[in-house]
Amino acid sequence: MFLWRRTEADGFHEVSLVIRSVSARGISAGITRRVCLGGMAFAWLAGNASRAQTGTPERIACLEWTSAEMAISLGLVPLCLCDLRGYEDWVVAPDLASSILDLGSRSEPNLEMLRDLQPHLITGAYGYGLEESDFKRFAPTFNVPFYDGTMAPYAQAQKETRRLGAILGRSAEAEALVFRVENTVAHVREQMGNRATRPLCIVSMFDDRHVRVYGAGSLFQDILSKLGLTNAWTKETNTWGFSSVGIEELVSIGDATLISLDPIPKHVKIRIDQSTLWNNLPCVRNGKVITIPAVWPFGGLAAAERFASLLAMT
Amino acid sequence: MIRLPHSSAHPASSRNRNLALLVLLPALLAAILSYVALNHLLPSDQWWQSFRATDLTDPNQLIFRYSALPRLFIAPLVGAALGLTGTILQQVLRNPLAEPTTVGTNAGASLAIVIATLYAPWMLETGREWVALAGGTVTTAIVFMLAKGRSFSPVTMIIAGLIISLTCSSASSLLMALNREYSEELFIWQSGSLVQNGGDAIFKLLPWVVGGLLASFALLRPLLLLELDDESTQSLGSRPTLVRLSSMFIAVVLSTMVVASVGVISFIALAAPAVVRMCGARTLRQRLTWAPLAGASLLWLTDRLVQMAPFPSEVPTGTATALFGAPLLLLLLIKLRPAAITARPSHVSVRTVNTRLRLGMMLGLLILVLVVVFMFGRSAGGWYWLQPSDVSNLLDLRGPRTLTALGTGMMLALAGTLMQRMTGNAMAAPEVLGVSGGATVGVLAVMLLTSGVNRSLTFTAAAAGALATLFMLLFFGRQKRFSADRQLLAGVCIATISSSIAAVFIAGGDQRIDFLLAWMSGSTYHASPMDAVVAIITAVLLLAIIPLTARWLDILPLGGSSARALGVNLPLAHVILMLLAAIPAGIATLLIGPLSFVGLMAPHLARFLGFQRAIPQLFASAVIGGLILVSADWMGRTLIFPWQIPAGLLAAFAGGPYFMVLMLKDRR
Repeated sequence: MFLWRRTEADGFHEVSLVIRSVSARGISAGITRRVCLGGMAFAWLAGNASRAQTGTPERIACLEWTSAEMAISLGLVPLCLCDLRGYEDWVVAPDLASSILDLGSRSEPNLEMLRDLQPHLITGAYGYGLEESDFKRFAPTFNVPFYDGTMAPYAQAQKETRRLGAILGRSAEAEALVFRVENTVAHVREQMGNRATRPLCIVSMFDDRHVRVYGAGSLFQDILSKLGLTNAWTKETNTWGFSSVGIEELVSIGDATLISLDPIPKHVKIRIDQSTLWNNLPCVRNGKVITIPAVWPFGGLAAAERFASLLAMT
Repeated sequence: MIRLPHSSAHPASSRNRNLALLVLLPALLAAILSYVALNHLLPSDQWWQSFRATDLTDPNQLIFRYSALPRLFIAPLVGAALGLTGTILQQVLRNPLAEPTTVGTNAGASLAIVIATLYAPWMLETGREWVALAGGTVTTAIVFMLAKGRSFSPVTMIIAGLIISLTCSSASSLLMALNREYSEELFIWQSGSLVQNGGDAIFKLLPWVVGGLLASFALLRPLLLLELDDESTQSLGSRPTLVRLSSMFIAVVLSTMVVASVGVISFIALAAPAVVRMCGARTLRQRLTWAPLAGASLLWLTDRLVQMAPFPSEVPTGTATALFGAPLLLLLLIKLRPAAITARPSHVSVRTVNTRLRLGMMLGLLILVLVVVFMFGRSAGGWYWLQPSDVSNLLDLRGPRTLTALGTGMMLALAGTLMQRMTGNAMAAPEVLGVSGGATVGVLAVMLLTSGVNRSLTFTAAAAGALATLFMLLFFGRQKRFSADRQLLAGVCIATISSSIAAVFIAGGDQRIDFLLAWMSGSTYHASPMDAVVAIITAVLLLAIIPLTARWLDILPLGGSSARALGVNLPLAHVILMLLAAIPAGIATLLIGPLSFVGLMAPHLARFLGFQRAIPQLFASAVIGGLILVSADWMGRTLIFPWQIPAGLLAAFAGGPYFMVLMLKDRR
């Protein structure tokens, strides 16, 4: 499967990847590991050459979804990313190019594969249990320090996007992205300003008894504030900006509009739909539950933009 | 729902008074707190009317009727079910450590629910009960099959149950680690939350609890006879196997229904019977009466207190039971009469083998395996042998992992051998000693108090936790003559506390779950060259020191009185051996997490291979321990490339079935 992905890659990638795909089949063709390594050395030289030309990293490896989202929205295609399937279900946008390789789980990226891929830059995020210093031996690293408690997520996303843009030699793209997202948000605010705005409550549902509610300190909170909307959930949250509570607590939001993030497992949906408690919550009773597609709650500017746009469509 | 103990109508007996107090005090406190909370929600004069005809447009009535009231009832109901389950299991297995976890029921039910949630969610559309019952029954049946050949000897059964629990829970963790974001529902459910959504759970659970109570009282007399040995029981006209089967089935049904309706509520099934026994319930009838009541009132109070906890996220009740219950049991341990566990010599046939030759062969195999796991691997291009010239390229990646696995495997095996010989209890293992658990508590404390993951701080916390546990164990040991059983019980408490703190952390939705799951399942991923050096040096040092204790280790399994008769200074021997076991267990936990499989398995495997005496068994199990972890680490790196499976998890997952086959073979 990964052979396909590779042939669609571009530029010098293609050169190295063709050689590597041959070596993948090479066990039968009698091509040894040494040849494979030779091919990789060539690829590495090619990579260096291209780096020397532009002076910026182009082969980047992403260890988790948030930094991948940032890199991709700056117009760069990462070599590899951890947990591709998860990204497609929970982050969704921006789209993954089919050339991107799976690097294993987000908690244990495959180091042997990482070394083989010869990245110029490794990106990760704060809080996944990986030490930045463990990866310095492979390539320079870029770490997104979201949710370290120093800044509000949206402002931090802007700052980090600019920082990554500078490292990748894509400062113009970064400025454009920051500008575009600000624009989108402003536009959505204008759009929504016409409607009577009632408080919103953003939740994820994982079972039929609990919800995860996003409040102070979350990216969603920042967007709601920028949109001039009120978050109905004003209670305390954890460092990641949410709290997990029993669904009966949703009574406290009154008849606020409930925004529920996909995906909700089907069997959970069935049980929730049958629940008398759920169906009689003030927010549900008045028919104000809106389901929106998946948005990565811990994402960066792209997630913020996606969230604002999805709200505009409701 | 709480049935007030009218059977305590004779306060003349101080025993009954104690028992009544045990049940009534928590129940009274819970009742007051519940009244205050409910009255705050909805004035009490509206309760009945609200129950009869709920005004659904009134949020307070809605919560009262569909959330608060169901929760008020579910807590004592679950508590009673667990108290009953624990009593039955402890009677049948003649072991005060028995609870649904020990016989593999909970793990089987949980695994079934995990698989169904991740791969066949349509099966859950009507509820989890049947999936849980199927899983719990299958694993308990396997335990039965394994134990059958030894006519259900309690020790065999506990070992079999432990093996299957380890296997199932490692399979569950593996599936959840591979489907991380998809497992959120499972994380919450696993932590044992009593939050209710309508009265469904109560109506599903109630008939089973009532049926279980009736059935167990009907089985009272045959159950009593199980206290005798099987020949005497048969001569009295009872059929011990049938009694065991049917009473175990009651326990299985009850515990799987609890697992299905609210998740795993730890500790109540263990604590309730233990507490009533300590308060003076001697006869089985007394215990069957009082343990469910004690379970009910304790869980009710716990659940009430949990709802008052001032945290932004819910504290699951199942977690809190362990937090409140475990220290309580630790305190009560002082009162426990020793020799509660009937340590029976296991019936391993003594074979005469040339242990030196065999040990030499095993060492050769270990070296061969070490070379293979280092040279043969997998890359994006497929499987390949490393060319000698490329060795340096991968040395820093494969070397520390392999050597750390080797060293920790050896350390855990040695610790396990020491503990099993010291206590005469076949289920003794480093994890049971509580040292791994203590280290885990330390790590979790750091994670709860800080954000992010700081490796050196984690390391320090783990060391502090392990040492504190060790110190506590030694302190308790000195209080009243060193009782090995009490050590085990204390160890189980600590292990339970640590796993439930982990559960609350996981259920809280913290993004560091990945790290925690990986560490707790025994991953060598983060092993540094320094780790490898420490692991190997400690293992070698131990191998040099432990033979000095050979005489003790050969004598201690014969039992305390024989050992004293042979002139062994028991307290001294115990303290030294305890240190020798705790240090490597602590270091292994620091290096690659609280592995539990190797320390239990390796000594057994060594015995199965014919290494009977202390020294040969120690060396053989060290080699086996190393082999297991090194192979597991290699498989974990390659099997699902580029993803990885933590070595400890794989060892438990692959080694469990193998061990079961060995048990079956040995039976013939």
